[in-house]
Amino acid sequence: MRQAGMYSGILAGGRTGPHSFPLARIKKIMKKSGGNVNMISGEAPIVFSKACELLIEELTRRSWMVAMQRKRRTLHKEDVVSAVIATDIFDFLVNLVSDSTTPLDLTPVEREKLEF
Amino acid sequence: MEPMDIVGKSKEDASLPKATMTKIIKEMLPPDVRVARDAQDLLIECCVEFINLISSESNEVCGREEKRTIAPEHVLKALEVLGFGEYIEEVYAAYEQHKIETMQDSLKGGKWSNGAEMTEEEALAEQQRMFAEARARMNGGAAPPKQPDPDQTIES
Repeated sequence: MRQAGMYSGILAGGRTGPHSFPLARIKKIMKKSGGNVNMISGEAPIVFSKACELLIEELTRRSWMVAMQRKRRTLHKEDVVSAVIATDIFDFLVNLVSDSTTPLDLTPVEREKLEF
Repeated sequence: MEPMDIVGKSKEDASLPKATMTKIIKEMLPPDVRVARDAQDLLIECCVEFINLISSESNEVCGREEKRTIAPEHVLKALEVLGFGEYIEEVYAAYEQHKIETMQDSLKGGKWSNGAEMTEEEALAEQQRMFAEARARMNGGAAPPKQPDPDQTIES
């Protein structure tokens, strides 16, 4: 990106800092993602970058709301897990987060007992 | 310490750089909120998985349209199909913004008369004026700076 560090253009809106997602890395992940991938236009990673930003923002925000409900100022992994489970469009992440040792189906009471 | 550019499970060869991701995540939260290491890692993994998901779908959209190259339009369609329709507007806006900026880049590059205010003659005149001022300050002492410095288009 020619204007790295100044105004990346990806993070429009000014609510985040000058950091943006690395396009080359995104492109690498895209290529790895499935067999027989078509060529990728130069502009596609830019679209991805913004989409990723929105995803991270939503996921972080929801995780943070969970942490707040649990009266913590630190985001823990289980907050992210809970946020994923509670959000329909994050269904594709359910398997990913359940790979961890945190069990999925916890009642609030059980969850309290787990926390250390 | 983990290698700089590999994060998360070993099944993934390419991931997103942790330092950048950490900063992005933190910037989305109030300043006094901390993020546990494992939470950060998981967020990054989710992002990678998201890219995988959208990529696969984009790839299919592209194929259905019998194109060979995945274009932004295919990605937008994929987002919609997968339930991320809410993102489309902002994503598209960012894309448009980028197009505008790269256009400006190519207009500014090279010729130094394309800056906002000055024509080539004006810039030259300005330069001469600055040199004259510098010389006056030097008051005939040490040799005034003679570098022509043709790079007058400072991007603001």
